[in-house]
Amino acid sequence: MNKEHNGLSKFIFMFVFLLLITYSVIIIYPLLWMIISGFKTNQELFLEPWGLPAKLLWSNYKSAWDVGVGKFFVNSLFVTSVSVTVTLFISACCAFPLSRYEFKGQNIFLLIIIGGVMLAPQVSLISLYKLLQRLKIYNTYWALIIPYIAFRIPFTTFLIRSYMLSLPREIEDSAYIDGCTSWRLFWNIILPMCKPIMATSALLAAMSVWNEFMFALVFIEDSTLRTIPVGIMNLRSTLSTNWTILLAALTISALPMIILFIVFQKQFVRGITQGGVKG
Amino acid sequence: MKINKLLVLLLSVLLVISLTACQSSQPTGGTDQVEIKFLHKWPQPEYSVYFDEVVEAFMKENPNIKVSVEAVGDEPIKDKLRVLMGTDNQPDVFFSWSGEFAAKFVRSNNALDLTPYLENDPEWKNSIMEAGLEPFTYDGNYYGIPFRINGKFFVYNTEIFNKLGLKKPNTWDEFMTVLETLKQNGITPIGFGNIYPWAACHYITGLNQKFVPQEVRVKDYNPKTGEFTDPGYIKALEYFKSLNDKGYFIEGVNSTEHNMSNQMFYGEQVAIIYVELEEFVEVEENLPGKWDFFKMPDIPEGKGNQNFLTGAPDGFLVSAKTKHPEEAVKFLKYLTNKANADKLVQQLGWPSPIIGAVNEGNSPDYLVRGMKAIEEAEGMALWLDTDIHIKISDVYLPNLQELLNGTKTPEQIMAEVQKVAKEVQSEVE
Amino acid sequence: MNIYRNKKVAILFMLPALVFVILFIYYPIIQNFIYSLYRWSSFSEVKVFVGFDYYKRLLSDPIFYIALKNNALYAIISIVFQVGVGMILAAVLEEKIMRRYQTFFRTVYFMPSVISITVVGLLFQLVYNPNIGLLNAFLKVVGLETLTHDWLGRSDTAMFAIIATSQWQYIGYIMLLFLVAIQKIPEELYESAMIDGANAIQKFIHVTIPQIKETILVTSIITIIGAFKVFDEVYVMTAGGPGRSTEVLASYMYRAGFRNDEMGYAATIATVIFLITFIVTLIQLKVSKEKNEA
Repeated sequence: MNKEHNGLSKFIFMFVFLLLITYSVIIIYPLLWMIISGFKTNQELFLEPWGLPAKLLWSNYKSAWDVGVGKFFVNSLFVTSVSVTVTLFISACCAFPLSRYEFKGQNIFLLIIIGGVMLAPQVSLISLYKLLQRLKIYNTYWALIIPYIAFRIPFTTFLIRSYMLSLPREIEDSAYIDGCTSWRLFWNIILPMCKPIMATSALLAAMSVWNEFMFALVFIEDSTLRTIPVGIMNLRSTLSTNWTILLAALTISALPMIILFIVFQKQFVRGITQGGVKG
Repeated sequence: MKINKLLVLLLSVLLVISLTACQSSQPTGGTDQVEIKFLHKWPQPEYSVYFDEVVEAFMKENPNIKVSVEAVGDEPIKDKLRVLMGTDNQPDVFFSWSGEFAAKFVRSNNALDLTPYLENDPEWKNSIMEAGLEPFTYDGNYYGIPFRINGKFFVYNTEIFNKLGLKKPNTWDEFMTVLETLKQNGITPIGFGNIYPWAACHYITGLNQKFVPQEVRVKDYNPKTGEFTDPGYIKALEYFKSLNDKGYFIEGVNSTEHNMSNQMFYGEQVAIIYVELEEFVEVEENLPGKWDFFKMPDIPEGKGNQNFLTGAPDGFLVSAKTKHPEEAVKFLKYLTNKANADKLVQQLGWPSPIIGAVNEGNSPDYLVRGMKAIEEAEGMALWLDTDIHIKISDVYLPNLQELLNGTKTPEQIMAEVQKVAKEVQSEVE
Repeated sequence: MNIYRNKKVAILFMLPALVFVILFIYYPIIQNFIYSLYRWSSFSEVKVFVGFDYYKRLLSDPIFYIALKNNALYAIISIVFQVGVGMILAAVLEEKIMRRYQTFFRTVYFMPSVISITVVGLLFQLVYNPNIGLLNAFLKVVGLETLTHDWLGRSDTAMFAIIATSQWQYIGYIMLLFLVAIQKIPEELYESAMIDGANAIQKFIHVTIPQIKETILVTSIITIIGAFKVFDEVYVMTAGGPGRSTEVLASYMYRAGFRNDEMGYAATIATVIFLITFIVTLIQLKVSKEKNEA
């Protein structure tokens, strides 16, 4: 009886396991195909989409980089790093009083800041387009950086505030007795304790900024300022029939985030679950 | 005290942000140097090199003018130009198709009237083919300078045609016989990629022109008087649809890109493609000596002039908001001088509207013959999508995909077009 | 601590965030509504007041309903797959017997969601391509030739093909949320269920689901809101075609504004997106509040 039960569950286990593996293949295969096809000649791609390349054409990756991906990459790097740094600083500043201070109207401020999470960037596309022009920053890096910061602040503040709330207060208390100013309390005591959540927030913000498409499509005109997502979209018409170079370009664009994710998996998971469950 | 410290920090952060923002928006240049922005639509490295070289030579000759070049691809530029027109970032010299596409910039006061510049320099004006200039006129004034003149032709694989004993068709009936024979012999007749429906619209451009009487069509394409009630429009759609229904197109037309279907032609998987004169050079590169071309065949029952050719000049407009009209025109003149037109023909193999730029001496035979076909045509049918109002085109074009999919009938489509044409009539006033 | 009672300092700390949020999130939304009352073009200065004309037009615009339907379809399918399948996957991976493989599967399943939608969209455009694409080639190899199809080129499948891509990308993301929620369930609940003789499926239904109700609610809301904001996928893969069959609200807004140059109409569509996402969020808040109070 018991034995039979084991046999059955073993069968079920194998079956489920097989399903999980199949699903993994469905996920991995297109990505792998993208990477491998980036090494092929166009002819190989057309005639044998499944096959391995006869020779690894590193030149595809080099062409992709030279034809624009390199420039887009640098732009993305700049926009992302500035946006993330400023977002973190401003959000941490904002989270500090929201988690520590007691004052009238605190809840209203909390609502204003964190309520921003609910508002879709899509809704602001037209008016931001006009606003950025009036501010004379349309078609500059700032046309991306500033909206990115604005739309990241609510969620980042939320994450950091929750974390700050969970921190023990004893250290601050003793620092306060030592005559610390509020700024030093924040900068020297609380912020260092927030390192883990700062790392998490930075990763999440970096991911969303790096991949953002719609603002980058509308708020930037010069091809020299484009970030990766819009850049590779335009590469498609630039490269016309050089599909394999396009695939190489796609690979280059996807790789940084994949690597970042695999290396910092723990931080990613923490941020997503904290935000998701409570947000 | 602590508040002050914070304030200082905050202010300095904001200051840094705003300072750098200002910096990046104000290019630092020499005081007496004039900068003009030039927007074209050929970012492909093999083409853009031509513009870069011309611009560089121009700047060498005119050290006081700095030309900054920007290139956006064919499909995106349609949106980009509209977006740009609303900003202060307007390029001084920008690409435009002829016909309604350019007229829209004229109506919204975004295009500079070039008539005085042309009148003051008859040599310049006379060097340009009238067929190239005319589609850029609006109320009798010139607003654009043609850069290329383009025609649409069916290009076919001569080996396949010879093997099956097929000849260039002159009439639509002959064309259908050719296609049927190809199909019977297991060859997909036409490579056609319509993921962006401008491709189908190029067929309809020709078919509309052949089916609808000239004066009716001109009236309909004018946003102020468009009705689209002529039965010829429905006929045009039906003829086009039958190409797909009879299996003369490749599979999956609506998800295939034009470039990809060309690729299939080069791989000799299809026998015919419908391409522009400017693409001939690419065809020759990929299938040297194994191809020839013919015009869209005549349709005897059609009420339009059968001696027209589908095609159009495209070229450049000067922004009405430019601060340096003299310099912008100077650059345009340079770009379209004989030497650079020759360079265009030789380097890129593109048909130039500058008289004498394409000749036996400097151009391959196919280009000369293509230009001859353009010159011999009694008129040109301008690309439909750039020749009608954008709102009508926005209903017309996506519906061509529905037509091919069989989800809408020609009658339904024309009813929608008629409806939007009426709306446009009332709005353009 | 007294230091924490100084309101001025508190506001000073929050000031930069407030400036950003108010100027670049709230103000544009109000401005957008005002824009929707005018007929204006991005390239001329003239603005004609039209009141609610654009809203009336929207209500009788068949493309608006196509877009709305597509967004709804997106939402429904995403709930079934991302929330439904994501939840089941999480429960399976949390089974004792699977736990040692969990890290591997979790990493793999989550991976697509860190990649940009442009990359995924362009990649799947090639996968779906009828001539060189992987999907049809695969169907032919396994003998299902009759199922080959012009996935993105036909109106009947294009929207599903786009939605499927999105599922491929995001099931792992939602799964992760469930994984953590399930990990928080006290082990004793399962143990007592075991004593009652429950099998895995019974445990899932009677222990797991009631315990992760809130996560189900939250993930459903995330997916619904996401479905009504969708833009990149459509813009990249079909640009709304064939015909208008894959138009969604955001792509229609973009088209109205930046292609047809009817900025007022685009702003009207944007207002509708705002209303829908806002109402869904309010429902979430209300439901989770009631839950907390109960």
